Order: sequence, then structure tokens, then C-alpha cells
Amino acid sequence: MRVVAVISPKGGVGKTTVTANLASSLARLGAVITVLDLDPQNALRLHFGMPHNDATGIAARNLPQGKWRNALHESSFGVDFLPYGSVDEKQREHFEHAIRAEPDWLLSHLNSLGLSETDVVLIDTPPGPSIYLQQVLKVANIGLVVLKPDAASYSTIPSIESLIQYYTKGRKDFLGYCYVLNQMDASKQLCRDVFGMLRSSLGDRFIPTAIHRDEAVSEALACQTPVSYYAQHSSATQDVKYLTTWLQKNFGLVD
Amino acid sequence: MRSILNSRYLYGRLNELGLSMVNWPGWENKIPRALALIAAALLFWAAISVPMELPLQAFFSTIIFSSALYLRRYTGTLISLIMVMFSVSATSRYIYWRITYTIGTDNLVDLFFALVLVMAEVYAWVVLLLGYLQTAWPLKRKPVMMPADTSTWPTVDLFIPTYNEDLSVVKPTVMAAMGIDWPRDKLNIIILDDGRRPEFAAFAESVGVKCYTRADNNHAKAGNINAALKRTSGEFVAIFDCDHMPTRSFLQYTMGWFLVDPKLSMIQTPHHFLSPDPFERNLQTFRNVPNEGELFYGLIQDGNDLWNATFFCGSCAVLRRTCLDEIGGIAVETVTEDAHTALKMQRLGYNTAYLSLPQAAGLATESLSAHVGQRIRWARGMAQIFRVDNPLFGRGLNFGQRLCYSNAMLHFFYGLPRMVFLLAPISYLFFEVHIIKASALSIAAYSLPHLLHANLTNSRIQGQHRHSFWAEVYEATLAWYIFRPTLVALINPKLGKFNVTAKGGLVQEEHFDWVISKPYLVMLALNVLGFLIGIGRALWWNTYELDTVILNMLWTIYNLVILGATLAVATETKQVRRTHRVRATLNATLRLPNGHSIVCQTEDFSMGGMSLKVPDGFTLEKGETLLVSLYGTNGECLFPSKVIFVKKNVLSVQFLELDLQQEKDLISCTVGRADVWLNWSDDRNIDHPLNGLKEIAFHSAQGFVRFGEGLKQYWEKNQKS
Repeated sequence: MRVVAVISPKGGVGKTTVTANLASSLARLGAVITVLDLDPQNALRLHFGMPHNDATGIAARNLPQGKWRNALHESSFGVDFLPYGSVDEKQREHFEHAIRAEPDWLLSHLNSLGLSETDVVLIDTPPGPSIYLQQVLKVANIGLVVLKPDAASYSTIPSIESLIQYYTKGRKDFLGYCYVLNQMDASKQLCRDVFGMLRSSLGDRFIPTAIHRDEAVSEALACQTPVSYYAQHSSATQDVKYLTTWLQKNFGLVD
Repeated sequence: MRSILNSRYLYGRLNELGLSMVNWPGWENKIPRALALIAAALLFWAAISVPMELPLQAFFSTIIFSSALYLRRYTGTLISLIMVMFSVSATSRYIYWRITYTIGTDNLVDLFFALVLVMAEVYAWVVLLLGYLQTAWPLKRKPVMMPADTSTWPTVDLFIPTYNEDLSVVKPTVMAAMGIDWPRDKLNIIILDDGRRPEFAAFAESVGVKCYTRADNNHAKAGNINAALKRTSGEFVAIFDCDHMPTRSFLQYTMGWFLVDPKLSMIQTPHHFLSPDPFERNLQTFRNVPNEGELFYGLIQDGNDLWNATFFCGSCAVLRRTCLDEIGGIAVETVTEDAHTALKMQRLGYNTAYLSLPQAAGLATESLSAHVGQRIRWARGMAQIFRVDNPLFGRGLNFGQRLCYSNAMLHFFYGLPRMVFLLAPISYLFFEVHIIKASALSIAAYSLPHLLHANLTNSRIQGQHRHSFWAEVYEATLAWYIFRPTLVALINPKLGKFNVTAKGGLVQEEHFDWVISKPYLVMLALNVLGFLIGIGRALWWNTYELDTVILNMLWTIYNLVILGATLAVATETKQVRRTHRVRATLNATLRLPNGHSIVCQTEDFSMGGMSLKVPDGFTLEKGETLLVSLYGTNGECLFPSKVIFVKKNVLSVQFLELDLQQEKDLISCTVGRADVWLNWSDDRNIDHPLNGLKEIAFHSAQGFVRFGEGLKQYWEKNQKS
């Protein structure tokens, strides 16, 4: 099991979209991909065609026997996904309380899925520090931080960096983390400047092929498909492909 | 038995034998070397001089030629060298036979014509031999990497001399130079404007480079550079013609050799042309058949490099300032200052180098007349050097250098010999002069081996850089024009003036160039007339020597084929684009105003626009605006564009007004790329002697057709007036 944590220091950067598109791109490489949504917004499922009114998920009260296996959905894009589930405030607090009580909560649930050594798990996390992120960083092998080309994203880097280092320090199976810039628009001077600054300050950790802002991404979500299925020749599809290649080259995710 | 004769086995044995002979330690000793040389010389002399009866000569030649045909199936320099020796022997045997047996001394007229032809043949023989020496073993030098610490890199002054060229030609070159990967404080880019134009100074200022002018224009380009040398102090000087745009890697690829070889005075890279020269344009062979310059830059310079005799070609090169200072700057005595400069530095014991990697590209001459003008200058200059600073004599050069430089100059004396070959048969057909006193059969028995071996061997050595028989067309086109200036320069090297090669012009409409083609038409008319008379001789007047008549008629047919091709070259095809489109596959992304994007690749690009190959089903309306992303050193660059042409899967766009930064970005994403010119010859046909002949025959037929059309046009015009 190879676990990739998709992290963002703040909301609205498009982390869930990146997770979904990256997952379908990795699946095209022939890997068995499972995506886990740990973000209470429960939006990941929408990328894979799950109906809005389907409330099932790992946090849902009615999860049979509390087993994740029973929440696993199969998509038509070669990706299996575990939705968070539509829950009310009370249920969420109850769910999070249970997590707090069990330090190995995530690990034991992942193990219960019966995945093989080479299968890949992508985990979508809520923005910023959270109880979910703590759990995720304790099991992740790779961290992928999603940024947006604006000043706010840039300024939050030190805090997310220290958070990652805090939870992964001394773990031999943590291979490293990297940054990807989402919603890039090269026609905007600010975007180009942020891109340049990130490239020089983050060095090798910065994936030099950003994901461009692309109307096809929003439209793909509206059609509930990954962008590579919706707009094969779009710049966003190409960029996700580059991201996949980069991860594959640097971490050898898929055999 | 069959397995032993298996060719691969035999080839392996031959190779082993060759290697063990080369590696024999005895060669270190002078005596075996001298003995081997004497033995080889004796054998060679026997091979070329032992007289044989006709059947024996035919038999002997057949065996040697069959061996050559057999050997050519294998690769390797050893095989090439064996084939070269076959060819040298066959040609030498022919020349020996011609001189000793076939010069008629019966009457003065015969003797005169015979001597003229023999002299032309001896010239061709000398050039063939020297050519083999030059090209037998190209050095294929690789770049030396620069040390990681850029603070140790030397300072470079980059000169872009210009005189009367348009700013639009010079601008991209300056911007490409600014994109070269080299520490900013160590690269000093200077436009040397001999036209003293205010807009050049203003442009230089706006992009942050220097622009030097001088009070006079003495010694043209050489004087211009020398004046700038006095005002600068960089350790090295890179020189680019004002239309030669360097790639970003130019200095990093070339400078390494200066660091490892302190005696290196100059390194030259190829002159690569992104636009078709008049031959390529008028014959429509661009990128299919190697152009005229390619033999020189692809093979000859690389071969020269083996002998440490690469010469400076005026552009796309780097020179060491201290060496230049020692010879008093760029040479000004001749109109080919570049070659002479290298010669002078080599005489002082400095090395030169050639790197066969196209690291800059420029514009070819635009019309045949401009091309002819340029070649006249080269021919005159080389003849001048031959006269005032002959490389065969004087101090400082080694044997190989003397021969390489001499051949570079001798080569330009082909004007007269080429015309002799083109006119020789009519001396018989017109006047019954027997210029070769031998039966047609013996002529065939001696000359065929010479011709066949020469073509077979040259096709093997040069085929990649020049297709068979094309040299004849290139030379026939220029023969008359360079014949006079070379002769004049040889008699008085001071006569004649420097003419600048015009670049960046347009040809308004297709037309037959009646002025430039005069000499071809005269030679053509004489050959046609000769052929017609030949028919009379064959049928009625000279039936007793039918073989001689037929031989001469065949010769005129060959000449007509070659001259037909020159007619095709003289038909200028229309050229309307001011910016040349370069066929290249680059990654691009179209960013549409509605937020959508399309990943695609370019089909071609120019400084004004590009064509893009787009996926099935994607289309835009003519006139729509969009942003085109290209990728360069600085990452993604966007260029505002407008759709001007839509076809299935192809979209042509024109760039809208670009600002200075965008223009610079465009250069660095296109012509500035390190790899942009490397795959230039990938789609090319492979040479085979018969294919070469077929190509020429095809163009010749076209030439006659176009000449007919030109004639018709001319006639109609005259009718009207």
C-alpha cells in the first residue's frame, strides 16, 4: 500500500479536483487506485459520478458494521473511492471524537481494506491543520501539497512545511513531499511571479509543470467525470499527465 | 566452403587484418614506415602505368570495380579508404594514359584543344585527390563541457556586424544573442553598424546592448570588426552575421575547447540556413536534397579539422582575442577576410577547430543573381589569397594544412575546367578536332573505371551531404561567373571590389532570369547545335568513325542534362513571405478566450506566426483571437494571435503586435532552442549514384519546360509592344 496525502494549507486551491484527476491519471498507468475522501465537504465523490443524494460514506451513521469495505464505490474510471458521506454536525463530531480516541484509526481502517503491497491510496484532506491531517501524515508515504498562485498560498508554506515535518519526522517509510501549483494562468503577471518565486524558493520540491486554470476542469466536474475523460486535449489533462509522470519519476508510485 | 566465403566472416577477417596492421608496433619505427611507403609507391606506379591491351584493361578494371561494389556494402572507415585508393588508382591510371598515349601531335589545332582538355582533366584529378585527402576521415569533434563554476568562465564580446540590412533582419539575431546561456556580466553584445543608422542605436538602447559605429567604412566587414576590437577587451570574440541567430547553447558548446586547448585560436560551427537557397527554392528540393553549402559544413570542414586546417567562415565562430591581436586583427588584404584570418593564425602555430553542430541559423541568399554575386566574391577572395599568401609556401604550416588550404582555394578555379567539359564534344562535332587520340572503346575502357569509381566512392563519402551529380549542376551554374574574377585575381589580386550579399528580399512573380542565364543558354545552344551536326556526321559525313561520333553525341546529351538543370535554377519562383516559415514540431497550447485550452504541436513557425496541428474535430473561426503558449528556457510564454487560416487539423495563426519582451520570448522558444536545428536532415532521401542522376534528369526536364514557358512569355510580351 502506497499512501499519497493530498494537502493544502488553505481552502479553494482545487485540492479535491487535483486528487480526483491525479487518481484517474494514475489508474491509466495500470495501478489499482483507491481514493479516500477525509474532507467533510464530501465533494470528491462528485468527480466520479456518484449521485448527489447518495449519502453513504465512511463517516455515515449507517455504514454497515462500521467497515470501510462496505463504503467502497467502484467508478467507471478505473478508480475505487471511499466517500466521506453526507453527515450532520452531530454525526461529524461523534466521528471525529472516535478518531481522536484512536491514534491508529486510519492505519487500521486502511489495513482492513485488504489492499496489496503495490496498490496506491490517495487521500484527500481538509484544508489546513486538522485531526484528519494528523492521522494521514502518520501513515502517508508521500505528501503532495497543492498551492494556488496567489500571495496567501505563498505565505502559508512555512506553516504547512513544519506541520508535515512534525508528523513525519523519523519515519523511514515517508519518502518525501512536493508542491504543485494549481490554477496557473501564465497570462497574468502575478501568477508568473508566484511561479518564479516558488520555483526558486522550493527548489527540487516544486513540480515545475503547473496545472493551468482551464474551463474544462469545471465543466468536467459538472459532468461528474475526470478532466482527462471530458477534454482529452485540454491543457489541464496534459498538466495532470505531467504531474503523474513527475511523481512516477521521483517516487516510482506505480510498478 | 560457403560458410568460409560468407561475406560477414570475410569482412570480419578483413577488419581484423586491417586493425592488426594499423596497430602493429613496428610503425613507431621510421624504417618500416619508409619501406612500406616505397613499396606502396612502386605498386601504385605499376597500377597506373603498366600498359595493357584493351581486353586486359577491361578485365582488370572489371575486377577492381566488382571488388569496390562488393566492399561498399559494408560500413567503416577502412573500407572507405580502400575504395578511395581504388578510385585514386583508376583516375590516376586514366590520367596517365591520357597524357602519355592520347594527345595527338599531328597538327597544332588538335594539339591545342587536346592540351586544354587534358589540363582541365588534370585539374579535376588534383581536386579529386585533395578532396579525398580532406574528407577521408572527418574528425567529428564533440563539445567539451564547461566547468560547473561559472565564475571561471571567460569574457566574450559578441559582434554582429551590419551594413545595409534591414533592422527587421538584425533584431532577431540580437535577441537570440541575448538569450545565450552565459553569465550576463561576461557577455558583451555589440551591433557594429557600418550604416550609422539612428534606428539601430535606438533599438540597441531599448534592449540594452551596445551599438558601435565608425567614421569610415574602410575594409568593409573586416575593418568594421577591427575597429570594434580596439574598443573592447573580452578574452574571446564571437562573430555572427547580422542574420545568423544563435541558439542558447552556442557558447557553452563551443567555449569548452578553448579551455582545454590553450593554442586554439578559433572554433567554427556550421552556417545553417533556415530558408531555401535559390537552388532549393527554384528546384523545390528544400530539405530533400542537401544544399550546396552542406558538403562544406557537413564534411569538408570536419575533414579539415583532422588536419588542423579548419578555416574561419566569417560567422557563427569564436576567436581568441590574443591570437587575433598577434596577426593584427581580421585580415584585410583579400575579400575573403575570414579564411585568410584563419590562415594567418595557423601560420603562427595556432590551432583551429570545427564543431559540426548547427548552433545558429540564418537566411540563404534570396535569388540566383545574389547567390552568384556571393560566390563571385568567395572565388575572387580565395584566388587572391592563393596569389598573395599561398598556403603551399611560406612558413608555419604543416603538410596537411598546406594541402587542405590549397584545395579550398584550388576548388574555386573550377570555372574554366567546367566550361571545357561542357564544350569539349563540340570541338569534334563542329570542327572534327580529335581531342582524344584513341578509339572510343579504349576511351571507355580507361575513362569508365575512373568515372564509376569516383562516383561510387564520392557517393559513399559525401552522399549524406551531397547527392551524386549535383556538384556538376552547382558548378555549371556558376562556372562562367567565377571563371573571370578568379583569373583576374590571379593576375592582379588588387582588382575588383567587395560586394555585400543581399539578404531578405522578395521575388514578386515567377520569371525566367534572362540576364543570369545567358552563359547557360550560349552553352546550351552550342551543345544542341553540336548534337544536330552529330546526326549528320553519324548518318552521312563521318560514318567511318561512327564510334567517335556517338561518343561525342552521348557527351553532349550529358551536357544538355546538366545545362537543363541550370535553366531550372534560373527560373525564379515566386517568394512573397517576408518571414520564413521553419518546419518544426514544438509543443504548444492554445488558450482560448472562453477559458478552454487545446494542447497541440506546431507544424511550422516564423517570426510572424505559426501553423499548428490540432486534434480531430477542433476548429476555430477565421479572425478569432487567442493566446498561443510556447515553452522555452523561461518556462511558458504566451503570444496573442489571430486565426488566419483554418483547414482540417491545421490552424494557422498570425501573431498580433508583440512587445519587446514577447519578441525575445518568441526567439527563445523557437530559434533559440539548443536542439532546434539538429534533426534538420531527418526526412531526406539517401543518396545512390543512380538516384542522383535521376534527380538531375528530372530537374533538367523541368528546366526545359520552364525555359519554354519563359520563351513564350517573352514572345507574348514582345508581340504586345
